[in-house]
Amino acid sequence: MEEIVNVEAVSRRFPLDDRPASHPAHSFVSALSHTSLRIAAGEFLAIAGPSGSGKTTLLNLIGCIDQPTSGRILVDGVDTSKLKPAEMSKLRREKIGFVFQTFNLIPVFTAAENVEYPLLVQGVGSRERRQRVDEALGSVGLSARANQRPDLLSGGERQRVAVARAIVHRPALVLADEPTANLDTHNATQLIDLMHGLNQRLGLTFIFSTHDARLLEHTERIVRLTDGEVISDTTAQGGSRG
Amino acid sequence: MAKFLLLAFRNIFRNRRRTLMTLMMVGGGVAGLLLSGGYFAFMTHGLREDTINSGLGHLQIFTADHFQRDETRVLDTGIDNWRQVAASVNAGSHVRGIAPRIDFYGMVSNGTKAAGFKGSAVDPEAEKSLGFITRIESGRDLDPKPSGEVEALIGKGLAKSMNVGVGDGLTVLAMTSDGALNGVDVEIVGIINSGAPERDARYLRITLPAAQRLLQSDRVTNLVVGLDSTENTDQAYTEMMPRLNMLSQRMELKKWIDLATYYKQVNSMFNGIFLFMGIIVFFMVLMSSVNTLLMSMFERTREIGTMLAMGTPRSWIIALFVVEATLLGVMGAVIGLIAGNLLGALLNVSGLHMPPPPGYSVPMPFKVLRVPFQMIVSSLLVIVSMALASIFPAVRASRLRIAEALSHV
Repeated sequence: MEEIVNVEAVSRRFPLDDRPASHPAHSFVSALSHTSLRIAAGEFLAIAGPSGSGKTTLLNLIGCIDQPTSGRILVDGVDTSKLKPAEMSKLRREKIGFVFQTFNLIPVFTAAENVEYPLLVQGVGSRERRQRVDEALGSVGLSARANQRPDLLSGGERQRVAVARAIVHRPALVLADEPTANLDTHNATQLIDLMHGLNQRLGLTFIFSTHDARLLEHTERIVRLTDGEVISDTTAQGGSRG
Repeated sequence: MAKFLLLAFRNIFRNRRRTLMTLMMVGGGVAGLLLSGGYFAFMTHGLREDTINSGLGHLQIFTADHFQRDETRVLDTGIDNWRQVAASVNAGSHVRGIAPRIDFYGMVSNGTKAAGFKGSAVDPEAEKSLGFITRIESGRDLDPKPSGEVEALIGKGLAKSMNVGVGDGLTVLAMTSDGALNGVDVEIVGIINSGAPERDARYLRITLPAAQRLLQSDRVTNLVVGLDSTENTDQAYTEMMPRLNMLSQRMELKKWIDLATYYKQVNSMFNGIFLFMGIIVFFMVLMSSVNTLLMSMFERTREIGTMLAMGTPRSWIIALFVVEATLLGVMGAVIGLIAGNLLGALLNVSGLHMPPPPGYSVPMPFKVLRVPFQMIVSSLLVIVSMALASIFPAVRASRLRIAEALSHV
């Protein structure tokens, strides 16, 4: 199957002081060390691990919103370490969809306008935008709530709007960082089922992070991180890929 | 683009209290500028018309040699056939009338005391027909055809220094065209209080025939042209010049603005004050808006991070903040225009008076004129100020590190 993400020996260290990295007294914290991971197109993959294990850092690096200290990441065959900021921005705009833990919807936009935003940034024409927004909201079951602002939606509805926003521009990859952290168990399970359904139906690649073991039951592949290192990479069939 | 503008517009109302404060500040700045500028405009407009109507007229015709004249023999460089000159320009459009004048200098004496004067010989009927105002404090105006003695009006200050009043006599002495000293006895029929004490301390006015007898010449020093409106001055000037150039005596035509030294000083002083106030408002709006917009940026850090994560170009983030601030500026300007005009209208009916301006002794009514140019300049000033104020927060927002912005609490 075609490879959509290739993480090659990636490390990410965060400085703890203002000294340059070459300075002998320079101190840092390592969030990710020599991590390697290959993800095929169409996979539904969970990155699991306790808080501070490096899940968000890994997703940020794959999502091109952060840069590794060493190693390289290929997204859809593109070496992201060689991209200029504007090219990274274009890559995110066209190939990646994001779902955030705190929904991060634009509060002054309606649900439909929030979903429309990535298309607006891409310069898609208004007629096509309307059609694709309707489809995306329909696919998450929120057509009836299209004209509501986020503050009038429940947590579960907001996160479904965020999912619709992440898929509306038909990205190659959807990254969801702890998407269920602010949801109750019922809504959390529904959201994972929704994302799984979209993965099956549209063939979209989903990578999400979680520390909730109950949500991993329907996940085909689980990458477990601890202290910035991959400790296991298992599939639903019980096989190991590590 | 429409959605982007919509986003900017809606963002303005996210924090209504802060937006209200910003709008009040911007609107207050515009209203303040309109009120002060409108008052200055009223003052300068009033001063302009007052200057013209107090005898300066809209245009004045002199001989080309007039400005090199000997002040003791003013008619040496006077206009020869002034009636012919007057007739040639009187036919022009917008001309309401022409008043001949002799501006001359000399001495007045009451037998025990003498003083220098700056005199003006006029045709009272022509002056009246042009609507020129003579501010007579006591007595009456000159009779155009007096039956008895030569009549004179003198300034309040001159009357005081000579210790004379209405009904008293004075001897007026001046140099004739031949260089001889000539004198004429006059009866004071009125005391003038023009509102400018310096002028009144030396002023004397007699009729034109009396001055011509005194100076032994039938010339005049200048012809004062009154127009139907001050706004037509330039047009009348352009039309009049060719007619004057056709005359045998070389003439010079002056617009009122060229002769109104005091008006020009006052006008430039008010313009300077208005400019200074504009600069204060500009920096006031700029500095306080930078702070407000920075607060707005910090509050929206995570949202900006989300927008950047979704691939929004950084230039869009800058544009978003600049558009928001510009829209705030436009709204503030509209509020300021409405408030400024309403307050101006209220002040205009309030009957308030201000102390006399420099060199004047009459209190000025407090009125505010509506000046479209000031409205445009004041509005543009705050809009540009707001747009400039947004640049620093906008650039900061556009440079946020996405990962850090997304974890901002």
